[in-house]
Amino acid sequence: MVMNSFYLSRILGNKIYSSDHQVIGKIKDFAVNNDVKNPKVIGVKVKTDDGIKFLDWNNVNVTKEKGQYVLICSAIKDIDVSNIMLLGNHVLDRQIIDVNGRKVVRVNDIRLANLSSGLFVIAVDIGTEGILRRLGLAKPLRRIGFDISSKLMLWNDVQTTFASNDIQLSKSYNKLSILHPSDLADIIEDFDTNTGMIIFSSLDNAKAADVLEEMEEKAQVNILNNMSPDKVADILEEMPADEVADILDGLSEHKAEELLNNMEKEDAEEVRELMEYEDETVGSIMNKEFIAFDVNITAQQTIERLRELKPDNEVAYYIYIVDENDKLQGVVSLRDLVVSSPENKLREIMDTNVLKLFDTESINDSIELSVKYGLLSIPVVDEEDKLCGIVIISDLVDEVFLPTWRRKFKKVS
Amino acid sequence: MKNRWSAFLIILSIIGPGFITANAGNDAGGVTTYSVVGAQYGYSMLWGLFAIGIGLAVIQEMNARMAVVTGKGLADLIREKYGVKLAFFAMAVLLIANVGVCIGDFAGIAASLELFHLSKYMTIPIITFMIPFILFKGSYSTAEKVFLGLTLTFISYVITAFLVKPHWGGVFTSVVKPNAKFTKDYALTLIGMVGTTITPYMQFYLQSSIVDKGITLKNYKYEQLDVYLGTFWGILTALFITVCTAETLFKFGIKINTAQDAALALKPLAGDYSFLLFAVGLFGASLLACFVIPLSTSYAICEAFGFESGIDNKLKDAPVFFGLLLFIIILSGLIVLIPGISLIKTILATQQLAGVLSPVILIFMLNLINDKELMGEHTNNKLQNLIARATVILIILLTIAAFIGNFI
Repeated sequence: MVMNSFYLSRILGNKIYSSDHQVIGKIKDFAVNNDVKNPKVIGVKVKTDDGIKFLDWNNVNVTKEKGQYVLICSAIKDIDVSNIMLLGNHVLDRQIIDVNGRKVVRVNDIRLANLSSGLFVIAVDIGTEGILRRLGLAKPLRRIGFDISSKLMLWNDVQTTFASNDIQLSKSYNKLSILHPSDLADIIEDFDTNTGMIIFSSLDNAKAADVLEEMEEKAQVNILNNMSPDKVADILEEMPADEVADILDGLSEHKAEELLNNMEKEDAEEVRELMEYEDETVGSIMNKEFIAFDVNITAQQTIERLRELKPDNEVAYYIYIVDENDKLQGVVSLRDLVVSSPENKLREIMDTNVLKLFDTESINDSIELSVKYGLLSIPVVDEEDKLCGIVIISDLVDEVFLPTWRRKFKKVS
Repeated sequence: MKNRWSAFLIILSIIGPGFITANAGNDAGGVTTYSVVGAQYGYSMLWGLFAIGIGLAVIQEMNARMAVVTGKGLADLIREKYGVKLAFFAMAVLLIANVGVCIGDFAGIAASLELFHLSKYMTIPIITFMIPFILFKGSYSTAEKVFLGLTLTFISYVITAFLVKPHWGGVFTSVVKPNAKFTKDYALTLIGMVGTTITPYMQFYLQSSIVDKGITLKNYKYEQLDVYLGTFWGILTALFITVCTAETLFKFGIKINTAQDAALALKPLAGDYSFLLFAVGLFGASLLACFVIPLSTSYAICEAFGFESGIDNKLKDAPVFFGLLLFIIILSGLIVLIPGISLIKTILATQQLAGVLSPVILIFMLNLINDKELMGEHTNNKLQNLIARATVILIILLTIAAFIGNFI
């Protein structure tokens, strides 16, 4: 079988012939199966005198004569058009996700490879050469000496975003799972709201929660208003309570109530507590997830316990020691824990001189403390000295440093 | 009661794009064209204003509807539906029309400052340098508010229109009975009026603004209100400007050749300070347009071809975007600096160019808005299609008439 590869734009609009060189019709589009890895062309959409037909690609042969591609179809047989994707209609000229570059790009052309096992989509052209080729300027410009570099992206690194009622995208979005939540958030915000919703809905709850956390407030509100309350509640339950409180603050009271009522009672309670804090207080930005242990356990036991708990990165910087009334006694850094002898008890390793904040203090105080003492997180206590949360430095950066920096450098949005 | 209050709040948060776009229509091109219409033709062109107003309302609403239903900008939609070749054609048309209007606005800046005896050879280079400077430094949002404020002086046209005590009955009957002499100049001026009212860049700008605001289908009826009110306000302003010049200049047979002449229309209100009032307003409106037009053109073109765009990028990260921006600004500045050109004539000619080119964009829009796959059940109804198509046909006929008039 002849092996060649070509661009979609070079054969779209060409005529397709029968074996005895009669014109069957004009090629309008190509239908591929929904294989995510390497879509295979299964049919070609042809406009004939009798209307639109979807011809079986198995009967088609592609040859190159005098620099032009010639398609010959040996038998006119229709294919089943359910569950297919059309390259021209759904991929060409559309925006897709460049999974490697972690951004949104537009498809200028599509590269197909004709192998013995069939015609496959192997890459998309997202560069300027693609545009010039579509305009018919690529060859002439190259002839007069302009060197235009091409920018092709393998189909593997690409994620299409088209979805409609007719097309089932089953495993389509699993490529997105390798992207970092903040990149995914940027990508979703780059698209129009409809496509953004489609992408977001395809994520599993844990991933969706991470992505939601990273989105801008306006985008968050948009997503939450457009999803069913049950699904939203599921996602919110995967997020730390302080993040949920922040998001719900941005919604109308009525909507926030609705969502809280849909959540698990315990989680909703935590969020409600946090929402009671006034803005600019430590309580309003603190994280309710922290690790607290009893003074009497050994370093060895602590580490084993941590292995079971598997805490998030930022929560694990320091381990706080509390007594049976939850009152703060001391702090042990993860470093000290690992470096000490395994049999040492926490009371021996811990630092009793704990720098702490009250939940009603202002955020400004937390900044002073964090910067002065180089703390990655600071424990927060209530008026009875009971440990109720921690303030993490990355939250401080989000809440205070970033907005101040933005204002200072007058970014035009 | 609660429902009415929340509805009111929703209205307040949504109003904006329609009104701002209508205000953008009152730039140098707008004010000059309407002044000339009144001064040269009295009330015999009001029927055109009325007809265009209806067309404009329908067209703006189409843009708004597309924005809300698809959530995408106009350049995006054209590229996705028609592919590279046609998108290139549409963008080329947009670029030409917008550069034209931008030139007109630079001319407006020069003309307004000449009223203070500041030579254009001094003012234009400074402005051409200042605009990119403000954009890149990021202080655009404050600057925008300042210029927007300056445009409020156009309220003086409203006041003057009542001061000159026109015969309002006569004004409105002339809408139905124009008494027009159909000459080549008449056709050209009419096209100019169309071009300044249905400017291509406004179509793209309005749709992008509404997309940015994230207005949903649920709240669409409020956006419709914003668009219709904006259009109404824009046409009303045009009417008042026409009345002013008709009563002061047309009656005394004064033709408008310089900005000075146009400023005279405000004499009944401000006496010898009429030129001050006029100049400040013209300056503010033109300067605002000189920011908005290059920006929205660059955004549209980058959107269509997938080039990186956005002001907060570094120069090397978005070369096409910044390149286009600078190209439009510098070219406009250079053209206005050509010695001897009549600033007023330049402004008028660019509006006519925009008018002639607008059917291209409108035809794309008509095709998109009637695409069921794209718009679902929100395609145009029969009346909307009728009005929009009639507007397109009217413009094309006028263009042909003016073209033929060249040879008669």
